[in-house]
Amino acid sequence: MKELLRVLLPLLVWLASFSAIYGLHGLGCASGWTEVALPVMSLFRWVLFLAWSATIFFQLLLLLALRTQRFDTTSSFIRRLSITNSWTALIATFWTLYPIAVSSTCG
Amino acid sequence: MGLLIGCSGDLSVVDPAGPAARVIATLWWVMFIGAGLILALVVALVIGAFRVRRTEGDAARDEKVWIIGLGLCFSIAVLTALLAYGLVAGERLMPRVAADVVRVQAEARQWAWRFSYDDRPGYITENLLHIPAGRPIDVAITSRDVVHSFWVPRLAGKLDAIPGHVNVLRIEADAPGTYRGLTAEYNGEGYRRHVFSVKAHDPAGWAAFVAEGTP
Amino acid sequence: MNALRRHRKLQAIWASDPGWKGWTSSVNHSDLGRMFLFTAFFFFLVGGVLAMLIRAQLATPDSAFVDAGAFAQFFTMHGTIMMFLFAIPAFEGLAIYLLPKMLGTRDLAFPRLTAYGYWCYAFGGALLLVAMLFGIAPNGGWFMYPPLTGPLYSPGINTDVWLIGITFVEISAICAAVEFTVSILKYRAPGMSLDKMPIFAWYALVTSLMILTGFPPLILGSVLLEVERAFGLPFFQADLGGDSLLWQHLFWLFGHPEVYIIFLPAAGVISTVIPVMARTTLLGYGWIVASIMALAFLSFGLWVHHMFTTGIPLMGLAFFSAASTLVAVPTGVQIFAWIGTMWKGRPELHMPMLHILGFFVTFVIGGLTGVMVAVVPFDWQAHDTAFITAHLHYVLFGGFVFPMLAGIYYWLPLVSGRKRLFRLGELAFALIFLGFHSTFLAMHWVGLLGQRRRIETYDAESGWGTINFISSVSSFVMAIGLALVLVDIIIHAFVAERSRRNPWQAGTLEWAGMSPPASYNFASLPEVSDRTPLYETPDLANRLAMGDGYLGAPKAARRETLMVDAASGRPEALVIYPGNTRLPILMAAMTGGFFLSILLKLFWLTPLALAGVAALALVWVWQLGARADQGLQEAGRGAPLPLASEGDRSPGWWGSIFLLVANATFFGSLLFGYAFLWTVAPGWPPAQWFVPSWAELGLGTGAALTGAIAQHLSARRNRAGAALMTALVPALLATAATVVVFGLMLFRLPPPDGHAYAATLLILGAYGLAHALLVMLMQGFLILQVRRGYTSPRRRAAFAVVALWTDYLAAITVLILLAVHLPGMIM
Repeated sequence: MKELLRVLLPLLVWLASFSAIYGLHGLGCASGWTEVALPVMSLFRWVLFLAWSATIFFQLLLLLALRTQRFDTTSSFIRRLSITNSWTALIATFWTLYPIAVSSTCG
Repeated sequence: MGLLIGCSGDLSVVDPAGPAARVIATLWWVMFIGAGLILALVVALVIGAFRVRRTEGDAARDEKVWIIGLGLCFSIAVLTALLAYGLVAGERLMPRVAADVVRVQAEARQWAWRFSYDDRPGYITENLLHIPAGRPIDVAITSRDVVHSFWVPRLAGKLDAIPGHVNVLRIEADAPGTYRGLTAEYNGEGYRRHVFSVKAHDPAGWAAFVAEGTP
Repeated sequence: MNALRRHRKLQAIWASDPGWKGWTSSVNHSDLGRMFLFTAFFFFLVGGVLAMLIRAQLATPDSAFVDAGAFAQFFTMHGTIMMFLFAIPAFEGLAIYLLPKMLGTRDLAFPRLTAYGYWCYAFGGALLLVAMLFGIAPNGGWFMYPPLTGPLYSPGINTDVWLIGITFVEISAICAAVEFTVSILKYRAPGMSLDKMPIFAWYALVTSLMILTGFPPLILGSVLLEVERAFGLPFFQADLGGDSLLWQHLFWLFGHPEVYIIFLPAAGVISTVIPVMARTTLLGYGWIVASIMALAFLSFGLWVHHMFTTGIPLMGLAFFSAASTLVAVPTGVQIFAWIGTMWKGRPELHMPMLHILGFFVTFVIGGLTGVMVAVVPFDWQAHDTAFITAHLHYVLFGGFVFPMLAGIYYWLPLVSGRKRLFRLGELAFALIFLGFHSTFLAMHWVGLLGQRRRIETYDAESGWGTINFISSVSSFVMAIGLALVLVDIIIHAFVAERSRRNPWQAGTLEWAGMSPPASYNFASLPEVSDRTPLYETPDLANRLAMGDGYLGAPKAARRETLMVDAASGRPEALVIYPGNTRLPILMAAMTGGFFLSILLKLFWLTPLALAGVAALALVWVWQLGARADQGLQEAGRGAPLPLASEGDRSPGWWGSIFLLVANATFFGSLLFGYAFLWTVAPGWPPAQWFVPSWAELGLGTGAALTGAIAQHLSARRNRAGAALMTALVPALLATAATVVVFGLMLFRLPPPDGHAYAATLLILGAYGLAHALLVMLMQGFLILQVRRGYTSPRRRAAFAVVALWTDYLAAITVLILLAVHLPGMIM
């Protein structure tokens, strides 16, 4: 059970953050955050950017943690699998949310 | 372009008559050619497996070539390019603010469309939408009953008419003429006959259409 | 004991009852796997006939063969049957049949559940068929968008048949998924650690986890729509605070993972067959496992790409467009790993390989058009046209039917013990391949020319006549090819000569038993130290038959197998399976009674049927009990093991864990629906809020937590041999208090047919109430077991199971009460 969780955790975190940021995007559009101007960009983009950076940061931490001795496992297969999945999740976090940086907001 | 014979048609996506449809048609041809090349590559590799006889393989090298090289790097490179292209194309189709935008409303019901015009308040047409040619139009789409979809294939992509929501679609016709429109979400037994027309006027015609509304 | 005597003895213990009556009482996975496959391919035939009718209608312009109403039933049933009654059950059948054999064990984790799942599928499928024969089949398209399918625009029974029939059938998918997950993790040959599992098991494991998390949103959607139709609760009506988009979200939250739920098992077949056909091992086993997992997760982030035209803001669409392109990467990794495997070995063009070549061409085209429609602007044009129909057939036929045909030809010698006599299959393949591509390549083009999907005919002036005619003629060529496969298999069943064991010289364990397989699979269980045990130990089959492995000395009338540690495959416990019984078919019939009572609006029958299901469930569990400790058991190879029922982590505990995963997804989808309506639906806020009450909130939370704590205390006291009632009775009373709180809440709701807000609260409350009653039933049952002497410090499995459910109840109670009371306090 612990092994399964270890393997699935990074991807679970990706799915959770992806859904959460999509939800945040909907909420922001519904409550007019795009209209609130802050330095550099709107409140809307600030919120999304911060959330995006936070989840990338978290994925990086996870990747580092899975490589340390402390969270090691007896099976080298499980170890490699969980690190591969962690890389996948990191790339997915970057890739699937990059529209935050470039796309128009609520149009 | 001999292919054009097979492309034309008054509902053809690949016979565009407006800027939005043209962007998408170009996108299609680019993707079509790209897909053809990738398919050819894969088929050649599969055939190669039966033809080429190698002596002894090395597992690490095989993984590097097939999985890292082709599986990861090749796929990611192709997809990054495509995604960027798609995003740029999508941005070009957004209803941007512009000075000469004409606003019309489209309301769907089983099985008819009702159109009204900001430039001619109170005037309503059934199953026939009047627009000026060469100017961007924002169509505000909604539904009175079930889910429908507003689609004029030669002018732009489609957008759904959903009860309780208003969606805005940007369309534009290059030249005056009549374009056929369809409902494109199954909506019951009258679905096939649920069609409409878009009549694009030249500037004089549009001025006359608008003027008829002012007494 | 020699091999023949051992075989006879095991056969006496494991065999199903003779004759056709044996089918109704069999719990054997080989029997049930075959029954699943037969039924699934029967439905494939029905769906295929519908497809022929559709193509006949569309062959010429202005066709008057059928009218729009009948045509709507045809295309709806074609999609529904192929998705729910063919593809998923065919995977279930294949996995039920193969998994225990591949994993080196004797049956799946819950044999009676396998049978129950089958009967739910058979009865639910029959319901849909009967509806079709009476001309009242569903007619709203296989994704059933409301409001078209709502009470106002589809007042007939057609939609109810879909909602209820499909939910009934989905029970079998959930049962199978729980079963596979537990079996793959816990029921393997000793020594088979996760990295030594046959690759098909990885595919089946991930697919099962996807079913557990992918199906609940659809079940929820079906429940909501049926409740709207039957009782007027307005979840999908915009003027009463509902939103039809909620259905689309829930449906595609299921619907996209569904595509991968269908594709992954087929990919598992390909990963199994290609290395054998190429006389080598799979290239990049670890990479493939990682890409299966990536695929599974990414597929849950794609659902909105079915909704690109619903007016969601571009950035939202771009997220899903990005995810939809990314999902092509793990697919690409697998494709290139397969081709690399072929380059690594020396591929031979046997029958299964032909279909795999068919798969490569077809699926790659489907994948490429899939990437095209993942690009938002192109989808705005292609959506709802014949282009999409063509794309999805390339993906599903290429990604499922071709691999399944490869699988059938690959495992046929195992099932029958014979080899093919005539070369009919090659001709059939040629017809299928040519027919398929001519049918659907053409359809892409006509879609781009503006032909919408689901129109019953078209004008001659449209210029689509020639393309459609080619498409229809080719589809009949394909149908002839598929019919020839059927003929080939029927011939095979009657006239064929005996094949030698393991004709393809495969390395996995399913070929280490007899062909056709014995009811008990393996006379003794192998010790595994490699991914391909038959390559390492070529005479493994004989050694197992001679009792060289674990459990080689059958004891009187006990169906035994081993449970292992999930990661390492070290033997942990001895499992004793229940024998043949008609309980599953009875229970499925009773479940059917429940669904029928709702379909036919015989609401007096509903509580009776529910009580019947509960009573049978209690008998079901009661039969597992024992009144005396058994202690450590001899399992062979000098390793005494405890019984699985004499520990904390029983099969029931593992099953409950994964059932709760599905249940929690259902609950999570419900909360998502609540939040979605709140933020997106027009017509909010509601006119009337639920009047919050600190007393109810406090009492409910307190009771739920007390119940959970008391339940855990009882488990601890049982291990210590202390008096139990002092903990069990308070736990029961606390749960009863939870029931009261939910009852009060439901009683005080604003009128639920007035606004989607109150309607959602009603569903939340009913969900909580149902779980509280269920937990009460479990706790009462446990008390009864304790009093009758069915528990002891050793026989303690039931305590852990009930504690799990009590914990779950506590969690949902707190969440529901907060979701119900908080808004009223803040607003």
